Amino acid sequence: MSRIGVFVCHCGLNIAKTIRVSELAQFASTLPDVVVAKDYKFMCSTPGQEMIAGDIKEHKLDRIIVAACSPLMHEQTFRKVVENAGLNKYLVTIVNIREQVSWVTHDIEEGTSKAKALLNGAVYRARLLAPLTSRFIDVSPDVMVIGGGIAGIQAALELANTGKKVYLVEKNSTIGGHMAQFDKTFPTLDCSACILTPKMDAVLQHKNITLMTYCEVTEVKGYVGNFDITVKQKARYVDHDKCNACLACTEKCPGKGVSEWDEGLVKRKAIYIPFPQAVPQKPVIDRDACTFFIKGKCRLCEKVCEQKAIDFEQQDTFSTVKVGAVIVATGYDLMNTKPLVQYGYGKYPGVYSALEVERLFNSAGPTSGKVTLRDGKEPQAIAILHCIGSRDKNNYEHCSRVCCMYSLKFAHLFKEKTSADVYQFYIDMRAPGKGYEEFYNRIIEEDVKFIRGKGARVAESADEPGRMIVEAEDTLTGKFIKLPVDMVVLSPAMIPRSDSKDIARLFNLSTDKYGFFMERHPKLAPLSTMSEGIFIAGVCQSPKDIPDTVAQANGAAAEALTIVVKDKMELEATTAMVNPASCCACQNCIRVCPYGAPFFNEQKGVSEINEALCKGCGLCASVCPASAIIARHFTNDQVLAEIEGLMEF
Amino acid sequence: MSINFKQIEDKLKTEARKLLEEGKVSIVLAYGKGYDEKKPMPYVVRKTSDIENIVFNEYCTANMARYLVRYPRGTKIAIAVKPADSRAVVQLIQEEKVKREDLIVLGIPVYGMKNFKTGETIDSKTTCGIYNPVLYDILLGEEVHGQPVVSPYDVLVDYEKMDKDGRWTFWKKELDRCIRCYACRKACPMCYCDPCFIDQNKPKWGEKSPESQGNLMYHLTRFHHLAGRCIDCGECSRACPVDIPLYLFHKKVAKECEEMFGQAAGMKIEDKPALVNFRVEDSDKILE
Ligand SMILES: Cc1cc2nc3c(=O)[nH]c(=O)nc-3n(C[C@H](O)[C@H](O)[C@H](O)COP(=O)(O)OP(=O)(O)OC[C@H]3O[C@@H](n4cnc5c(N)ncnc54)[C@H](O)[C@@H]3O)c2cc1C
Ligand code: SF4
Ligand code: SF4
Ligand code: SF4
Ligand code: SF4
Ligand code: SF4
Repeated sequence: MSRIGVFVCHCGLNIAKTIRVSELAQFASTLPDVVVAKDYKFMCSTPGQEMIAGDIKEHKLDRIIVAACSPLMHEQTFRKVVENAGLNKYLVTIVNIREQVSWVTHDIEEGTSKAKALLNGAVYRARLLAPLTSRFIDVSPDVMVIGGGIAGIQAALELANTGKKVYLVEKNSTIGGHMAQFDKTFPTLDCSACILTPKMDAVLQHKNITLMTYCEVTEVKGYVGNFDITVKQKARYVDHDKCNACLACTEKCPGKGVSEWDEGLVKRKAIYIPFPQAVPQKPVIDRDACTFFIKGKCRLCEKVCEQKAIDFEQQDTFSTVKVGAVIVATGYDLMNTKPLVQYGYGKYPGVYSALEVERLFNSAGPTSGKVTLRDGKEPQAIAILHCIGSRDKNNYEHCSRVCCMYSLKFAHLFKEKTSADVYQFYIDMRAPGKGYEEFYNRIIEEDVKFIRGKGARVAESADEPGRMIVEAEDTLTGKFIKLPVDMVVLSPAMIPRSDSKDIARLFNLSTDKYGFFMERHPKLAPLSTMSEGIFIAGVCQSPKDIPDTVAQANGAAAEALTIVVKDKMELEATTAMVNPASCCACQNCIRVCPYGAPFFNEQKGVSEINEALCKGCGLCASVCPASAIIARHFTNDQVLAEIEGLMEF
Repeated sequence: MSINFKQIEDKLKTEARKLLEEGKVSIVLAYGKGYDEKKPMPYVVRKTSDIENIVFNEYCTANMARYLVRYPRGTKIAIAVKPADSRAVVQLIQEEKVKREDLIVLGIPVYGMKNFKTGETIDSKTTCGIYNPVLYDILLGEEVHGQPVVSPYDVLVDYEKMDKDGRWTFWKKELDRCIRCYACRKACPMCYCDPCFIDQNKPKWGEKSPESQGNLMYHLTRFHHLAGRCIDCGECSRACPVDIPLYLFHKKVAKECEEMFGQAAGMKIEDKPALVNFRVEDSDKILE
């Protein structure tokens, strides 16, 4: 015999609108073992909580059922209430009659009846619940940051400054990310390198940061507080411990690779550093471009290297680090615009993608900061086409958020560096950030022409060879425009990194329909994910500018800190265990467990579960043919009783 | 070409003797004399004096892989397998119930095996219809070539014509006849749980005496437990004293599984059991 108290919440009108709450409480009072049943306006409020605590004492309740919102919202709240009232916290059951009932129907009859069914099931289950004891584990104090763009750099520095050890994993041979490619940054037009390189250098110098460039995460084990992450150090063929960054090798190298940093506009050597301020400033060898790796002969770099740092035998190496929390900041790619054949990217040499233009402006870029076309001439008329692939139902519906602003930046720089006419083809101008509207107004003053209409097509000019015609409808005048230009700049959609799916899989992250990582809650938990202990920052979450990226990075650092400042962490007691008498050794549990908790005990010939690793997800119990697995808090008996209660309706 | 059963039997005896005498195995799982020629028995050969009892004829349908899981892990076993049986061995290796290195697989290429009750040839009708073992160490006959290639799923044509309600009525009627002797489970190489879910009392998953609800619970769960694992030997259906065509359900599920995951049960040691293995490229059809 148990003594159950049922508490039905109105949630204002959120629940009370489509469920007759007093009828539900009345119904609950007729169910077996229910001693008291009440409804109240806001159960999570202080009076609501006090009411529950009071009734536990007064009626000697030993099971509590709260029919309210999702357990994700308030399970912890009500667990605290019963715990303070002297009950084991696992004896409280939440019945979600908001997200699962009142918010998904308008029909008060249906709503009330479904709520009754759910409550009936919960009462049946609650009678079989048992008290459980939580476990505590040590928390690893270190943090891993993945991605060394401005987001990752900022997060790593913040954390390191609090005294925590940080592993910063970057897959390129330098940190910096896209920001390192820019010349100026909107809206202030301050020099990108001037504000970024000091931070890059600080990362390198920081005693609490272990910088792992040219590295990728290959395996993630464990759980919040105790992740074991395997990182692959890709072979650089240069021993960075010996290299003194004289860069004599890069001068002599005859190999030719495509400079990713310059967006493929120029070639670089096979042994290279991506750009002069790269961090670390030590070279790597690109196997695919290296004459020795291709032809078996060369080794010029080896000959000139006084430090004997070149090592053609180097292999990929793997190491495993233990961290308590992870920040993912892998940033973005720009959409490949070649398939949008109407814009002629890749066909007409005068069509550029936005990042290529950033490199043209950059004094360390392929043209040393001069704006010239591929044939070396200065452009006379330039069209900047907004929203290429973005805000486009056929490609990406989302707004990339920064293109309006960087297009304005481009216009300004074009005006500064050339005498060309500059045209903006836009759908809407979006300038909602601090100082952005002012920046927009400033550029209008600079004699830039704004045409409200999306660029529809770029064609070859019939009259003037080498020039192009941009076609668009000016939606303000209703006129169809054909504008001759000699340079077209596309502002392509910002999309997640091509390998972001692998990261999502490694860390169990959900992604939205574009592949950006999903936050736990769009408003209240924008930096957390559904995987506890894994946080996200920067454009990998959604397109944003540098100020927002940095704000997120600081936030993510703070979130990660809330985990790693603790010495010990409480683990859910809802773990699974194997009944050895029933286990038929099929090892299905081992195959399906996402946390690697079950293992096979060869001696006993049965599977067992490492409780420290088990997260209580219940997968193993559901695939165990012999029903040998007891998922605590969701035992077969408890679940079957709940189903029985549901089916009675 | 036809199958020379006598020659296979002789070869089986020779190999069994050699393996036992050389101490390579402690057990040979084969077939032995039964009540009459039509009813050979599963036979566990432990000593050389047992060897004279070995037989092999077209009625040796039993799947000896059924017996592999009986012996302590690490026991060295030689096992005679027909094509479908070899798939059971592969599946058991995949499931890590037995280790490849503990087994010596005596493969028997064969067709034209017969149902002892009806005398009918079974090949692809109730069995998977392949002629050569997918795994063996020693082949006890010549590989079969030139036989017609028949899909094991061809027999589903009539069954698949039934709609959902039709199938429900069909299975209700068929399964109502089940007397719960559990011969199907005993014959099946993949049904190795002890205790089986249906024998458990807490919770009691279904009624244990033969009655409609309990029969459905037992069989539907068993079908589900065999999904992606049934290697289509047909033994369950032949073992059934009331001739319930269990193979129809198993084949149907096997077909769906193969379409969905691109692998049939027990074909390759490197495969992972389809239903407990996550691959990114797996079809989402299963969620529909
Ligand atoms: C053309 C253009 C101009 C822009 N101009 C401005 C501007 O003027 N002002 C402004 O505020 N914003 C501007 N932005 C936006 C700005 O680029 C972003 O806000 C900012 O770069 C986001 O930083 P991030 O660290 O999130 O991503 P990124 O800069 O993309 O950095 C991500 C880093 O993670 C690394 N990485 C990726 N995957 C992995 C992996 N699997 N493992 C390890 N490392 C990985 C990458 O190599 C990279 O170093 C512009 C954007 C574009 C496209
Ligand atoms: S799934 Fe069940 S029967 Fe199979 S090994 Fe695990 S506990 Fe044992
Ligand atoms: S409940 Fe089972 S599958 Fe889930 S984490 Fe625990 S052991 Fe793994
Ligand atoms: S279910 Fe039947 S056909 Fe399938 S493996 Fe078991 S006995 Fe053979
Ligand atoms: S029916 Fe299921 S539980 Fe029973 S023996 Fe077969 S696989 Fe195991
Ligand atoms: S062998 Fe036939 S009668 Fe016996 S339990 Fe199986 S289906 Fe039922």
